[in-house]
Parts: sequence; C-alpha cells; structure tokens
Amino acid sequence: MNKKNKTDKKEEYFRRIKGDLNIKNVNVYYGDNHAIKDVSLKIKEKHVTAFIGPSGCGKTTLLRCLNRMNDEISGCRTTGSIDWGDIDILEKDVDPVPLRRKVGMVFQKPNPFPKSIFDNIAYAPRIHGIRDKKNLDEIVNKSLTDAALIDEVGDRLGDSAMGLSGGQQQRLCIARTLAIQPEVILMDEPCSALDPIATAKIEDLINDLKKNYTVVIVTHNMQQAARVSDYTGFFYLGELIEFGKTKQIFENPKEELTEKYMTGRFG
Amino acid sequence: MAHIWNKKKSKSAVQKNPFHLKFNFREKTIVLLLFIAASLAIFFSAAILYTLIDGAIPFFQEVNIIDFLTGLEWIPTESVQLFGVLPLVINTLIIAGVALLIGAPLGVAAAIYLSEFASPRVRSIVKPVIELLAGIPSIVFAFFALMFISPFFVDNFGAGYFNAISAIIVIAIMIMPIVISISDDAMKAVPNHLRETSLAVGATKWETATKIVMPAASSGIMASVLLGLARGIGETMVVLMVSGGRVGYDLLQPMLPMSGYIGRVATGDMPPGLSHSAGFAVGIVLFVMAYMVSALGARIVVRIKTSTSVKSKKKEKKKNIFTRTILKISGVILFVFLVIGSSIKSFFGKIRKLIRKDKLLTLKERYWRQRIGIGVIASSIIIAFVFLVVLLWFVFSQGISGINLTFLTSYPSRFPEKAGIFPVIMGSVYLMLITIVFAAPIGIGAAIYLNEFAKDNGYTRFLRRIIQNLAGVPSIVFGLLGYLFFAHVLGFGMSLLSAGLVLTIMVLPIIVVATEEALKSVPDSFREAARGVGSTRWQTVRHHVLPNALPGISTGLILSLSRAIGETAPILFLVSFFAKTTPSGIMDGFTALPSQIFYWSQHAKPEFHVLAASTIIVLLIILLGMNAIAIIIRQRAQAKRDW
Repeated sequence: MNKKNKTDKKEEYFRRIKGDLNIKNVNVYYGDNHAIKDVSLKIKEKHVTAFIGPSGCGKTTLLRCLNRMNDEISGCRTTGSIDWGDIDILEKDVDPVPLRRKVGMVFQKPNPFPKSIFDNIAYAPRIHGIRDKKNLDEIVNKSLTDAALIDEVGDRLGDSAMGLSGGQQQRLCIARTLAIQPEVILMDEPCSALDPIATAKIEDLINDLKKNYTVVIVTHNMQQAARVSDYTGFFYLGELIEFGKTKQIFENPKEELTEKYMTGRFG
Repeated sequence: MAHIWNKKKSKSAVQKNPFHLKFNFREKTIVLLLFIAASLAIFFSAAILYTLIDGAIPFFQEVNIIDFLTGLEWIPTESVQLFGVLPLVINTLIIAGVALLIGAPLGVAAAIYLSEFASPRVRSIVKPVIELLAGIPSIVFAFFALMFISPFFVDNFGAGYFNAISAIIVIAIMIMPIVISISDDAMKAVPNHLRETSLAVGATKWETATKIVMPAASSGIMASVLLGLARGIGETMVVLMVSGGRVGYDLLQPMLPMSGYIGRVATGDMPPGLSHSAGFAVGIVLFVMAYMVSALGARIVVRIKTSTSVKSKKKEKKKNIFTRTILKISGVILFVFLVIGSSIKSFFGKIRKLIRKDKLLTLKERYWRQRIGIGVIASSIIIAFVFLVVLLWFVFSQGISGINLTFLTSYPSRFPEKAGIFPVIMGSVYLMLITIVFAAPIGIGAAIYLNEFAKDNGYTRFLRRIIQNLAGVPSIVFGLLGYLFFAHVLGFGMSLLSAGLVLTIMVLPIIVVATEEALKSVPDSFREAARGVGSTRWQTVRHHVLPNALPGISTGLILSLSRAIGETAPILFLVSFFAKTTPSGIMDGFTALPSQIFYWSQHAKPEFHVLAASTIIVLLIILLGMNAIAIIIRQRAQAKRDW
C-alpha cells in the first residue's frame, strides 16, 4: 500500500471513529519546561468532562493535545498516548488535519473570522468542497440552530460576525465547530470573556450538546464545572491530582489538595 | 556628601520661591534648532514645487495647458513641435502596469511563502537575499537589462535594440522587494488566533493562508502593490537606458515614459528651448501621478499600523484640505478600477454560482492543492534568487577582467585600455561626505524633534506627512530640483555641493524613519528615570536616549548613504561627464560611479561596456562593504545591549 492511499484510508477511518478517549501517561514539554507530568485519564463518550485547577496548571495544554494544536507551537514536545478507537492520536503518522475535523475546538476568547456570519460557518464545509448554495444553507441553519443562535441572527446572516456581542460570537464559534460534524468538542474556558447571562446560555448549550457530542471543557470557574460536567479532573502544577465523577470530586474529594482548592484555601 | 547640596541651597536661598521656573536658554536653543531641522522638510518640499512650477512656466507660455494635457502627439524635436503628454503617460502606465502585473503577484506569493510556510532557517536565508535585491542600484539593473535581457529578445523575438519588454522585466523584479516586505509585514500582523481557529476546524495550512490570512491582510497587500506601482512609475534609469527614446505601443519596440523623457532632457539629448522646459511640465504630471499612488499606499500602511489605537482614528478626521483633495482624487481613480474589477468578478461569480455543485474533496486532493500551491509560491522566490545570481554572475564575468591597479588609479580616457575610475571613486566619496554632513544633522535632528519634543498637534502631523511624502517623489524629479533650484536659483552650479544637497533631501525620509525607530526602541522607563532625578528634556535625550539609540541611528545612516551613493537619476543633470580631474572643492564639477556606469554603457565601443561592468563591481563592493559595516554595528550593539 503506498503512502497516499494510506492518507485516504486514515481519513476514512476518522470518519467513523467513535468511543472514549483514553489518555495514557502523557507528558508535554515546552522547551525545558515540563508542562504536563505523566497524566492518565479516560474521557467518556457523550459526557462532559471538565478540567479545573489554578492558572498554569497545564489544563489547557492537555486540552490542546486532544486535537494536536500543540503541533503549531515550535519547541513543544509530547510523549505518551491518547487512544481513540484503535488509533493513537499522538502518534506521528496521525494527520492532525482530518483529526481536527473530528475534534473541534472553541477558544477562550471568541474569535470569529473577519467575515460574515454565514461565511464563518460555511468556511470549513467549503474547504471540504461543499459549494452548492442549498447544502451550505442547510449546514449553516442546522449549526446555528444547534448552537441556539438562529433566533438572534437568522435574519442577518450576511452581516459581519465582528458586530455580534461577545456571547453571540462565542456561540457562533461553537456553531462553526458544529458545522464540521465533530465527535468531540474541546472548549478552552469558553465563558471567561463573557458576562453571566451569556455564560448561562453557553452552559445550557453544553448540556444540550452532550446528547450528541463528547465535550471537554477547561474552566477556572468551579461552580461552572459543577453545573455542566459529569466528570472532573483537578490539575495542579502539571499533575493530575484527582479525577472522578463530578459529584464525588466536589462533595467528597479524596485528596487533601483538591479539598483545599475546592474550599478556596489556595489557588 | 551633604555639604555639596547645601552649598547650592545657600546660593539660591535668596530667591523667594526655590522652584521658580527659570528660562533655560541652552535648552530652548537646542529645541529650536531641532525644530528648525524638522521644519526644513517643508522648505525642501516647497523647493520641489517651486522647481516644477518655475521650470514649466516658459513651457506653458508657449504651449496651451489644455493641448498639453489632452494632446495625442509628442514630437519635441521636429520643426513643428507637438507636446501632447498623453502618449508619455500611456507609455508610463504600460511599462509600470505590465511590470506590476508580473512583479506584484510574484511579490505577494513570495510574501505568503515567507510569512506562512518558510521555516525560520529558510526565512533567515531568503530575507537577506530580498534585501540584497532591494539594495542593488537601478543603474545596475539597467545595465543588466541592456546587456543581457535585451539581446535575448533581439535574437529570439526580433525586438528592437531598445525595447520596452526588457525594461519591464527588470522593473518587475525591482518592484518585488517592496511588495514582499510590506505584504510580509501585513501578514505577520494578522493575529495568530485566526490561524489557530482555522487549523482547529480542520483546514490545511494552505487553506488557512489563502482563505483566512490573505483576506485579513488584504489592505496591507493592497498598499504594497500601490507602493510597488509608484516605484515602477518613477523608475528612470532603466527606461532611459533600455526602452529607447520614441513613443510606441509595442512591447518589443521602444517606449518613452515620462521619466525617460526627463532623463533625456537631463543627459542633454534634447535641444535647449521648448523641448527642454517641457521636461519640467512632464515632471509635474509624473510627480502628481507618483505622489498620488504612493501617498495612498503610505496612508494605508500608516492606518494599519495605528488602527489599534482609538485616539488616532479620531485624529484622522481632521485632515487638511490639500491631502484630502489628493486622497479624494486618487480614491476616485482607485474606485473606478475597483468597480470595473469587481463587476467583472461578480459577473463571473454569478455565472459560477448558477453552475456551482458540491465537489467533495478528499484529503488527498486537498493535500495536492497545498503541495501545488506551495510549489507555485515558492517558485517566485526561486525566480528572484535565480535573477539575482544571473545578474551578479553576468556583471562579474563581464567586468572582473577590467579590474586592476591601473583601472583603479587612472583617469577616464577615450582609450578603453588606459581608462580608469580614480576621480570617479573620489567624486562618489566626496559626494557621500557632503551628503552625510548635511543629511545627518538635519535627519537626526528632525527625528529627535518629532519623537522626543514635538507635541501631537496639527503642525507635527503636517511635518510627518511632508517627510513621508518626500519618500514618494520620483528620483528624476530630484534631478530637476538639483538642476533648477540648487544649480541655478541658488547659484551652486553643476557642483558637488548641488548634488550633495539633492541627495540629502532624497535620503532625509529614510534617515528620519530609521532614527525614529532607534529612538523608539529605547524604553520609556529610561526617560522617566532621568526626568525623575531632575534632568531637563534635552539632558534626558542627550545622556540617556541618544547613547542607547546610537547604534541604530548609525546603522540607518550608513544604509541611507549606501542608497544615496547608488542613485543616478537625481545627479544626472549635475554630473560633468567629461570631468577628468579629481574635484578639489565642493563647488567643482564632478562625476560619480553610477553616472560613469551610465556614460560608459551608452558608449558605442563595446570595450567601454566592460569598463562599465568593472565600475559596477567597484560600486557593488563599496555598497556591500557599507552594508557589512552596518550589520556589524547592529550585531555588536545587540550583543552589548543589556536591556
């Protein structure tokens, strides 16, 4: 089998991939800085997993391993494995481009492209060759509906996305991610730049999303983790201190460090 | 230590108020001098306008201005003279336009490659090559076009000995570095989160570069293309030497653009009288065209740089009438082009939309697009690289045999075997010294005033605009300035002094920009610390800012001098081609390296072409040496710098 056929096979495989993400012994280094230390945990399919911990504890870095965004940072090195189905995401010959279609990402700051609302969502489908106006309309409508944004912007899809409010922009970014039909959605502190009302809307949305998607969310806000997640991992200085059902972590933490953090005695 | 302070205290104790504000004569004088240095730019600009108008008055006394602007025949030398400028304008537009059609896509492609795909290693190799290309004087490009490219077209396509296509090709390459550096800056300025987002939805790097980064940087790319166009419109030496002296509309035959005509006036090809003063009238048209294009481009660049601050946006509303009018006119012209362009695009777009069908792309296909795309844009860099190598190889293989001790120490002669360039080298050295004597204090003083002392008011903004606009004046217009204003109005004659002053004005914007950049790189905390212990503003600048900015300033100074020494068109009116002695004073006639290259490559005997190539080698070695010195200063300073 030559290499090019392999590329297509891999894409074909990604199209059908499903299941839990099994993170095993992952280490990440930025140059000399050991940012993630030997982390292992399991992300359950169609559930919401939250990563919490103080700033600089490595939760975002680990999130960015899941769609190989760390590849884009020069001097970043990753070891260990993240098994998904029978593929190891971290393996060198896994192509991040098709992987990212299955693992979408929403960033901390709402970052729409400087284009119209429609073009923002249609961007990824267009890249994949969908050009028929009818099909694009359908995708855009479906994505906006799923992102609970259609009522607010449905009549002005041609307007610039930069004119939306922060909360609307962030939901647009989620809609943009939904348009590529991912299995997993990564959210990197999606509400940290938003006001409480916009935050509540996003949290409701996350609750809806977990019916169809696996969601991994990084958050500073512990109440948010408690409200939206099924599983929680607590990170401190690059190490996973504790991982388990959210209820257990919040009500009955096993580790002293976790309890201290929960009760606000540090962090 | 206390007694030192006490002594002082007892002296001033007589005053009622110990903090009484005293008039600091020294400080005020220095600031006034700096203010004058900055304000000289207004005088220089006025001199340019005066030159163009005063020079053209005799012409417009004979020729109706309407006939001049709308006439379709340009016959300056026959018994029945006709002066319709349109053919010249059209020739300028053809040459600059076609050169832009070649050079701009190449430049933008190279910029995309550099900004989005090149590894830091590749970048560190390609960037200096582009800078080298930008630093080669236009006379060298002209020589290469005349001796290497033109014969190719003569042999293979039956072109005339003088033809437009050879000029167009080298101008396209000359446009490239401008387009590359500004487009590259614009794309580098696109926030990284947009790239990340695009990659995160599964786009390839190619898709990210073409669909996200390029549209986001489009105004910067547009500005780079405009500045490239201005370069093409103003270029003189190449068209003067390569594209011939006759108006035409065939790329393989001669064309006479505006700068070429003025160049011909400068070299004395045009008889005195009407066809001579017509040069100034043409100069006005050329000046206005180049000015509008480059001012618009520069404005866009400035707007991009300041677009982040809300404050500057408010200020932009208060434009003065003059620039507003200019911008409006150029805006209208641009708008017309855009309307035509976009209506064509939308027409095809509508047709495409009707027949648009899904064509799902596999990953393999998308990767092939990426591979082909990167291949295409990388090849633009290879084109520039190959061009540079061939140019240098050609010049060296032609000229190296002519370089020996006799050549370097003898005087120019009618006999090629005896000819040398000693007085020519000395002419260039003296020219450089005069330029630095004038340009350094004026340029550095202006920059210090603008950066450290100027209040942010209308006058300061006007000064900045004026200095910025000086950079957009075509080099041959500086030639007119030297000829009419310095040589005749001020009576300096065809002397080193006149030429040095012209070059001073020409390099002024470069020195101001470089100096300001060096001053800005000194952290404000230094200034605050100095002011905090009671220094005056000038003391702060003198003791803390200038010493730290000095390496940057001297680097900028050397680089701008190397620019000046390679320029031909501004001194074309002033050189004495037959000067055979070393100038002994600043009022003496002179000849310089670039003008000697010009003279010898125009010579009928091919032996002299070899001498021209040898002179180019000497010129390039001097330029390279100056650049090397600048780089060494910069690197030493960076190594020593501890902040």
